[in-house]
Amino acid sequence: MNFTSFEFLGFLVVAVFLYRLCPLRWRPALLLVLSYTFYLTWMPKAALLLAGMTGLTFFAVRLSGTGGRIAPALILLLVGCLAAFKIALLFPAHGIAGLVMPLGISYYTFKLISYVLDVHWGKTSREPSLIRFAAYVSFFPQIVAGPIQRPADFFSQLPSGRSSLWAAVPRIAWGFTKKLLIADNLAPTVSYVYAHTHSLQGLPLLMGFYLFPLQLYADFSGLTDIAIGVGRLFGINGPENFNRPFTASTITAYWRRYHMSLSSWIGDYVFTPLRMATRAAGNLGLAFSITVNMVAIGLWHGLTSGFLVFGLLHSFYINAEAFTSRWRTRFFKSHSKWNVPGDLVGCFFTFHLAALSLVFFRCVHVSDAFWLLGHLTIGWANLSSFLVSVQSEISLRNLAIGLLGYVVLELGERFRPDLWVRSMSDSAPRWLRWSFYFATAVTLAFGLSLLVLHAGQARSQFIYEIF
Amino acid sequence: MSKTLDRMQAIFRDVLDDDGLILRPEMTAEDVETWDSLSHINLITGIEEEFGVKFTTAEVASLKCVQDLAVLVEKKLAPKP
Repeated sequence: MNFTSFEFLGFLVVAVFLYRLCPLRWRPALLLVLSYTFYLTWMPKAALLLAGMTGLTFFAVRLSGTGGRIAPALILLLVGCLAAFKIALLFPAHGIAGLVMPLGISYYTFKLISYVLDVHWGKTSREPSLIRFAAYVSFFPQIVAGPIQRPADFFSQLPSGRSSLWAAVPRIAWGFTKKLLIADNLAPTVSYVYAHTHSLQGLPLLMGFYLFPLQLYADFSGLTDIAIGVGRLFGINGPENFNRPFTASTITAYWRRYHMSLSSWIGDYVFTPLRMATRAAGNLGLAFSITVNMVAIGLWHGLTSGFLVFGLLHSFYINAEAFTSRWRTRFFKSHSKWNVPGDLVGCFFTFHLAALSLVFFRCVHVSDAFWLLGHLTIGWANLSSFLVSVQSEISLRNLAIGLLGYVVLELGERFRPDLWVRSMSDSAPRWLRWSFYFATAVTLAFGLSLLVLHAGQARSQFIYEIF
Repeated sequence: MSKTLDRMQAIFRDVLDDDGLILRPEMTAEDVETWDSLSHINLITGIEEEFGVKFTTAEVASLKCVQDLAVLVEKKLAPKP
């Protein structure tokens, strides 16, 4: 049941209806049933693994107490299980026939680890109810691709009597727009370039270089918007995952704005313990911790050489920034007229450095990535013959809609019209509120029909679903 | 408490490179732009050196605001009964 399928919309309507009718004390149980129903429609067998890991973690933490020694062993087991699947998938020929990545394993394993460590560190108390705990781990809006919510944040909101359609529906619609109108319209061009890297030169490669970051951001942030919006229908506010990452003027700032729930997770559970352990080693400890941190982020996506290079590139960027940060801060403090140009130049470089790393992220082989980067500037003379030859492969109409949509995305994220709707709905008189609701509903319906007309590739998979 | 905060403030100003920083008990990393996970451990080591104490990872992980850190420092400095 894909998020962008009509089956899912139907499931959602029934689920919300049942949830609203359900008395508060039964809601965690209902949420659990709904989440497993959703999961079973994707991968019935993998549901056993999800249930097993959930039960194991719950009872192990319950038996061990906060000071117990079980936490390290449990974490090793959880990470081992995740790594085993990622390794097995690298060798399909030698592996188990029909083996696929269990849906959401990278996300729910991280939820389980954060629970184990938060209890171990005394940051949060043990959850007494298995039903509530299992509802947290399997919470269906977040299981496909996050955001990775922390246990205390989730439990404090469950069960919630408050669920606002007006905070949820526009967010879901925005997510659909990003996915169907922007990401899916950019996808064919990107797929074409990355599938034919070695036979292309110049402009098409440059298009692949620039368009993939935009496609990825629209796709993944769209998926997150849907997840957050759907969560809100059940009274759960999930953590934000994106904050206009391409406006960041350093790579360090970029990671505070891009896939935030993953980067803050790795920061809290990998970087901080590592940095604490290596703090006596000074700068060497810092460089080591940063490198492990960024490589962990890369390899979380999959144990391939491309993701490793992606992680290593970012560890290089962040190390370079960490060791020059004092100097930069002082320079900009004493030369304040350079602040604005500095930010602009920083933004330009940050985007290009991120895009460079994403070439390794997207290419199947590292050699393809080097080819792409090495042939960006040649072959521009044969441009017209290229344009003729790809006319049947790349639809310029799709590309134009995708790019135009991307401009709307950036403007929407900058000015956040959804916040106007919410502030309006709190303070305005009833007649104005209802006319506003009506106008919003008409706009949404109109938008939805436009989406159906102009959507890109029919119901393509979300990029982050496979991790 | 205020004496501890004053001494902590000097460390914060130095590590976060902000001479005008006024440390408030309820302050969190979200309130200061340069206070991120990188500078966080530098703050911790700076405070460890200043007060001659040692923190564990669990203690550092559980901190929520400046007040928590100050309370932790004072608890470590208090004479053992």
